[in-house]
This record gives sequence, structure tokens and C-alpha cells, in this order.
Amino acid sequence: MFIKNDPLCLKCRSALKVKRKKVQIEGISFETFFDYDGIFKSLLLQFKECYDEALAEVFLYELSDYIFMRYQGYRIAFIPSSEKKRQQRGFDHLEKIFKEVKLKKVHCFEMKEEITQEGKNLFERRKMITNYRYTGKPVKKLLIVDDVVTTGSSLIGAYTCAKPYAEKIKLLSLAYKNSSIQ
Amino acid sequence: MKCLRCGNSDPAYFYKGSKGYYCRKCIRFSRLLLEEELEPYDYEISIGCQEYHFDYELTKDQKETSKRCLTKLTDGDVLLLCVCGAGKTEIAVESISAYLQKGLKVAYAISRREVVIELSKRFADIFKHAKVTAVYGGHHDQTKGDLIVCTCHQLYRYYQTFDLLIIDEVDAFPLKGNETLMNIAISSCRGRIIFSTATIDTNLKQVLKQRNYSSVELYVRPSYKPLSVPKTVCLNRYIALLYLYRMMKLMANQCIVFVTSKKDCRQLFRLFSHFFSCTYVYSDHEKRDENIRSFKQKEKKFIFSTTVLERGITIHNISVIILNFGKGFDQSSLIQMLGRVGRGVGDQGGETYIISEHYSSAVKNTLAYLKEANSHLEMSVLR
Ligand SMILES: [Zn+2]
Repeated sequence: MFIKNDPLCLKCRSALKVKRKKVQIEGISFETFFDYDGIFKSLLLQFKECYDEALAEVFLYELSDYIFMRYQGYRIAFIPSSEKKRQQRGFDHLEKIFKEVKLKKVHCFEMKEEITQEGKNLFERRKMITNYRYTGKPVKKLLIVDDVVTTGSSLIGAYTCAKPYAEKIKLLSLAYKNSSIQ
Repeated sequence: MKCLRCGNSDPAYFYKGSKGYYCRKCIRFSRLLLEEELEPYDYEISIGCQEYHFDYELTKDQKETSKRCLTKLTDGDVLLLCVCGAGKTEIAVESISAYLQKGLKVAYAISRREVVIELSKRFADIFKHAKVTAVYGGHHDQTKGDLIVCTCHQLYRYYQTFDLLIIDEVDAFPLKGNETLMNIAISSCRGRIIFSTATIDTNLKQVLKQRNYSSVELYVRPSYKPLSVPKTVCLNRYIALLYLYRMMKLMANQCIVFVTSKKDCRQLFRLFSHFFSCTYVYSDHEKRDENIRSFKQKEKKFIFSTTVLERGITIHNISVIILNFGKGFDQSSLIQMLGRVGRGVGDQGGETYIISEHYSSAVKNTLAYLKEANSHLEMSVLR
């Protein structure tokens, strides 16, 4: 019951270090588990860009129980990815990653415009803040999750538009790319 | 189950995803579903694109080798063994032209993107009427043309496409020891392959075992100068530092000092920058291009480098010192590093040294290789 089947080999698992920390961007704080570099980066890219679904469980393998306990009563809400990407992949990458976390999940955000963030500069990324729409029902507790936070615009955007509909909102990101803040 | 692209048939590497089974062995090239049809490559080779012209005259040996290469292609693959700087690109040109004339598809694959960029320009110069398409990471909007010049990684885009595929620097990273990549490269070709290299490693031996091939050799450089045989010295690490200092002090030429690790590279630079005008470089150094440029323009006399400078760099009148410590370099790397010396026509050639802790088999093999190549040169000159 305590032993799960780790999809990663021992070497990769010990290289994939969990560094749990709280980060604040523009007064909004969120929890994050990894630094966006080294093996985490290459695994996430292989999963997201090469569509290697087999890696879905790798990221939260040690953390799913922790998230379940820490955020009890919360509903997980996923930051949406562009429809085009989703079609190509054939799966929603965030949903796959958080599959093992036994909290209720909702898809309650919509993008107003299809923007991908790749290769965008800081200014263009800021547009993401106003690019979300809340489409779900009002809820008590909402946990908004993302994979990588760079400028924080996606999280902040989702947070702002969900605020009128939820009593309590927490934010969570797998990784934090510590460079382009300011 | 078998992956069409990389030839993997181990069921452990197949995973069932949302869209069906896919191969995980070559996943880094993009997901290839098992039942997915590989996109056929349709392109009509333009008429008259086979005409070629060199701005300089090829040597007698180069011309002969070109002819031999083309005739051997009728029987099977060709293993083209050339010493560094012998002009293997020029030798492939005649074969490329012959295939293009028949309207067949040709690609030239090489390890690094910088070389792809440079080579595609050179080919565009040689084949004035052909559409030469360069394909490499971050530059693949256009994947069709009369002659494709690409990195080995990009060959995954073409399945059973080429009638003639030239794989250059088979003994170099990333092909060296990479079975998956090699299989992908081979599956992109439906006709003949020219394996172009200076040395044969075990991976290549494996591949050649399964293929019908004949070898074509060229041991003579256009300058008709013998390859420089290095002086080898066996020293303890610390004494080697003193020895290196003395050599650098006496050195007249510009000089590349090859070291086995990035750490050595940084530390030696820190130490010797107090005494000499020097710089350093390794593959993911942020000022990599800038430092190489300052060395090329002779602003610095010495450069400490890892294997990153072992290929593709030509500087006149240069010397090479190889510090063969730690794990040590392998034979193909050693030959390439020593091959930096005396490349151009009229190059005076510099000195070469290998300093190591012990006399490794790679060093022994390298010396044997150089001596053999030079004996061929003598014979060719006598002829
Ligand atoms: Zn495969």
C-alpha cells in the first residue's frame, strides 16, 4: 500500500529534486516544487512538446498525497492551454499530471484569444492577464494549477477572473523559472 | 511491434497513450504513433541542377578518389576514409551530381548545425542551379529541395526518402555510440549511403557488418604535407603544469590547448591568464563565439578548449597541445585535434604534443594511424 511503482529510474529520481517553496509575484503568493532547469526541464519538455504521455505521473509521484492533504476541500482548476496544442497532443497535459491527486477537478477557465506564450516577450506575456474568462459555477475553495511560472501572468490572470466566484483561492505551480521577474 | 523510424522492437519501449501506441525510444524526435503513416516526401528534382563548378582545381588524388567513390556506389555503400583536411566534401560532389542527373534524391548529413550552415553555402556555390536546402534545429520551415544539407537529428523527418545519403563525421558526437540516431539516419535512406569518417568506432562496425560496402581511402591532403605526428610525454598532473608553462613560454605560434573537462578549462585559464594572453571555450560557455572569434583574429595567443574545437576550425600556422588527463580522449578525438595543424595550402604547420599520465591505447592507436597515413602519402608522392 505504501509502495508505488515509480516510472523513473533511481538515478533520474534522485536527480529530480523537490524544492518546495513559496513565491510571491505582485503580491500574489503561490507554492512551487521544482526549479525549472536540469532534468525537470528536459522531462517536462519531453512530456509537453514530444507528447510523451508515459511521463505524466513522474512529476507529482512523491507529491500527490501531500497536495491532497495540504489542499483538502479545494477543487483543482487547470490553466487552459491553447486548443491547437491540445488537439495535437491528444491530451490535456495538466490534467494528466494531476490525475493521481485525489481532489475534485474542474475546467472553469477559457481563453478569450488563442495565444501561445512561447517566444513571447514580457510585454506580450502580460496580455495573458486579461485573456481569461471564468466559465464555471461559483465554488468555495479553488486551487489554480499551472506547470511553469515565468512572469506569473497566467496565474495572476486566472486568479483575478476567478476571484468573484470563489471564497478562497490558492495557487500552485510545478516549477518556477527564476529569472524574468521585475 | 516495430518502430519504422528507429527500428526498435522492444515492447518495453512502447506506450499506449491517448492517440494509441507510440515508440519511446525515439520520442525525443517527436511522437510517432505506431499506426501513423509517415508522410511521403514528394519533390521533383529540377532539371540541370547537377551541374557543378569549383572555384579551385581539385588535386589529382581528389579527382581519382571521387571517381572511385562513384563507381563503388553501383555495387553498394561506400565507407569513405579520409584524413583530416583531405577534402571529403569535394570528393562527394561527383557522386552527388551523378545522382541528381538521374533525378534521384540526395542528402548530406553532418553532426553540428554550424557546419550545416557553412556547408549549405558551399554547396550552393558549387551547384549553382540547384536548390540547396539547409535543415537544422530551429530552421525547418523548408524541408524540400534538390540537395538537402542537414544535421543527423533532422533525418527523422525523412523516411525511406533518399537514394544517396552522405553521413559525414560518423565518428563524432552525436552519432558516436548512438544506436537510435544511427538507425533513424539509415531508415531515411532507401538507396546507397556514403559513410564519411576518419576512424571506425564499434558502433559503425556494427552497422557496416549488416551492410554491403566497399571502402575508399584518401590519405593525402591538398597540401601534400604529412600529418603531424605528436611528441608524447608521460607526466604526473602537477609536473605537467610546469611542463606546460615552459612549452607555452617557448611557443612561437598560436596554440590550442585541449583539455578533458570544463573544470580543467576554467582552472587552467585562471592560472595561465596571469602569464600569457589567453582565453577559453567549452560547448555551453556563454561567451563561446566571442572567445573563438578573439582567438581566430589573433587577439589571443592561447585558447584552452574542450572537444568543442576538435572539428570544423581552420587556423593557419597553429600548434596543438593535448592534455590527456582523467578519462582521456578517444582515438577519433585525438586524430581530429591533431588534424587542426597544417590544414591549408602553404601552411607551415605547427608543433603537436600529447601530455598524459600514462600511455593509453587511444594514444598508441593514434600514433599508429598517423604513421600509416603518412606512409601512404610517401607512396602517393612516389607514384
Ligand atoms: Zn522509435
